[in-house]
Amino acid sequence: MVRVRSLRSRVLLWVSVALVAIFAATIIGLDLTFRRTTDRALRELLDVQLYGLVATAQPDPESGLVLSDDLTDPRFSVPGSGLFGALWDDAGRLVWRSWSSLDQELNFGSLPPPGERRAVRLRPADMPPLEAALLGVTWEFEDGRVRDYTFGVAQSLLPYEEQQRGFRWNLVGWFASMTALMLVVVGLLLGWTLRPLRRLEHEVRAVEQGSRERLGTGYPSELTGLARNLDVLIETERRRQSRYRNTLDDLAHSLKTPMAVIRSQLAELPLAAERRQPLTEQLDRVDERVSYHLKRARASGASGLGLVPVSVAAIALDLKDSLDKVYRDKAVTCELEVPDAATFRGDRGDLLEVLGNLLDNAYKFADSRVRLTAQRGAKLVLIVEDDGPGLSKQHARAVTARGARIDESVPGQGIGLAVVREIVELYEGALHLEASAWGGLRARVVLP
Amino acid sequence: MRVLIIEDDQALGRALAKQLDNAGYKVDTAEDGREGLYYATEYPVDLVIVDLGLPTMTGLELIQAVRQQGHDYPILVLTARDRWQDKVEALKIGADDYVVKPFHVEEVLARVDALLRRSGGWAQSQLVCGAIALDTRTQQVTVHEQPVDLTSFEYRLLEYLMLHAGEVISKTQLTETLYDQDFERDSNVIEVFVGRLRRKLDPQGELKPIETLRGRGYRFALARSTPRPLKIGTA
Repeated sequence: MVRVRSLRSRVLLWVSVALVAIFAATIIGLDLTFRRTTDRALRELLDVQLYGLVATAQPDPESGLVLSDDLTDPRFSVPGSGLFGALWDDAGRLVWRSWSSLDQELNFGSLPPPGERRAVRLRPADMPPLEAALLGVTWEFEDGRVRDYTFGVAQSLLPYEEQQRGFRWNLVGWFASMTALMLVVVGLLLGWTLRPLRRLEHEVRAVEQGSRERLGTGYPSELTGLARNLDVLIETERRRQSRYRNTLDDLAHSLKTPMAVIRSQLAELPLAAERRQPLTEQLDRVDERVSYHLKRARASGASGLGLVPVSVAAIALDLKDSLDKVYRDKAVTCELEVPDAATFRGDRGDLLEVLGNLLDNAYKFADSRVRLTAQRGAKLVLIVEDDGPGLSKQHARAVTARGARIDESVPGQGIGLAVVREIVELYEGALHLEASAWGGLRARVVLP
Repeated sequence: MRVLIIEDDQALGRALAKQLDNAGYKVDTAEDGREGLYYATEYPVDLVIVDLGLPTMTGLELIQAVRQQGHDYPILVLTARDRWQDKVEALKIGADDYVVKPFHVEEVLARVDALLRRSGGWAQSQLVCGAIALDTRTQQVTVHEQPVDLTSFEYRLLEYLMLHAGEVISKTQLTETLYDQDFERDSNVIEVFVGRLRRKLDPQGELKPIETLRGRGYRFALARSTPRPLKIGTA
């Protein structure tokens, strides 16, 4: 069985199958009824003709019964009219036949006994079938003689069959146009009925892509439940995410404060440098790992539901203000070339993290210039450049290689670039580290 | 210089206070948001170090309240949350810098130093006024490029005056800044120290770096040799 994916084509398919079946049955039924009616009418007509023949029969003293040529129906006298008459005597000899059958020999088969009426369907080889009626009579002459005769009439079925065919084609034509009309009506009705479903689909996609926050209202009663449940689901997902984040924040706080205490206590211990060194180193490593994993866990990635499109320009401006404040002693000019149309489809915090780390690195290593460029095509391209010393190819590779571990990333670059790479990969994007035109690092991020 | 530390973790607060004290700052500590806000608004403060995750009132709320009341001293944020979202939020609300936990104490000291310099309108760690130069990093003072030997109290007095070069500093202000709060305020110790500082910096009496304004206080009279950048802090 063919799988029909759309509800609309499914309904249309089954409606047309049902319509064809119903109309076919109706056509067959009507056709049968029509045929039965015409058959009965024909039989009655033949009876009338038969009794007409009997009525016009005249006894002739010499040759028994004679039929005058002046018959009730003129068609008997016209050859090829399709109406035939015949008379047989008791020996089965044909004593008369109508002018209309001059050129044809009709075989009526066996003759009925007197007093019996018989209907026969004649199928001569060289002409269309005929309906025939035979009537056996016993004729009492005036002189008291009694003789058996058989009257016969036959009517060609040709006109009736034509009529039937015409009727059948008419029926088929009418029903075909009715089917077409009904399919059009059903199609329109479906379009109208399914419009809320299409709207729901559209809105769910909008929520998914982040162009709206929740589903609208005003759905028909059959869909309100579904729409409400979807909204609840989206809301639950958002809440679950925020609870998850709060937990991570608490975890960060409860891990890092004791580490800060240890570090400050360590600084005060009267230890020789070679004893202190390994301790601080280990502490730094633990700190780096904890930070890295917490940040990784915190990045939400393209989780699908509940994302709002984020303006890159607003975030870039916030970050520039923040970094200008932090790097106040360093005379760095930061240019932002971010069109308002540049939006990020994802979590605001993730974008802040990506741009924050890249810009922070740029401010840190820049001599005097930093530039952020954003372009939004099918993908979002973010480029952060500085005029600092740049990153060697080897180091760049170590940071950006897929699956590279934090331990292998460049010392001094901190975990910033590794975190950026992780987040970008969550969104199935890419981080490229290249040389900038100013000689420094040019970090290019491509996001969907 | 008076530094207020608002940190709910007692061990960390104490350790930090001790390090700052060793570096010559006068330190007050508070352990929750409300107490911190009280100290930050009711007591003389030159710089606040605040943890973001505080009980009774979050660090962000505290910073906002402090700025709303018009205090423009520098605020350094300590945070365990090192996401940019948190950092940007804190800086936007009125903090001036942040240090992520677990920090190195030297890092905090360097930031505190830089923030205090900047709040006095100095961009560099070298404060130069004519012939007198003071390096806040090395705590070295030179006159006509000749090093001058100062006690730590004299150094802090000079640093405070030079950071606010051109401004009139009252005796009360100096007392509050240089001594613990329970110090006897009527003492004329400040006058004695200013006198000693003058003799050490200017034995011939040619430079006259410190002016006495009767009944109002003191002013570091030599002009700053580096251009004074815009004052930081929120408006």
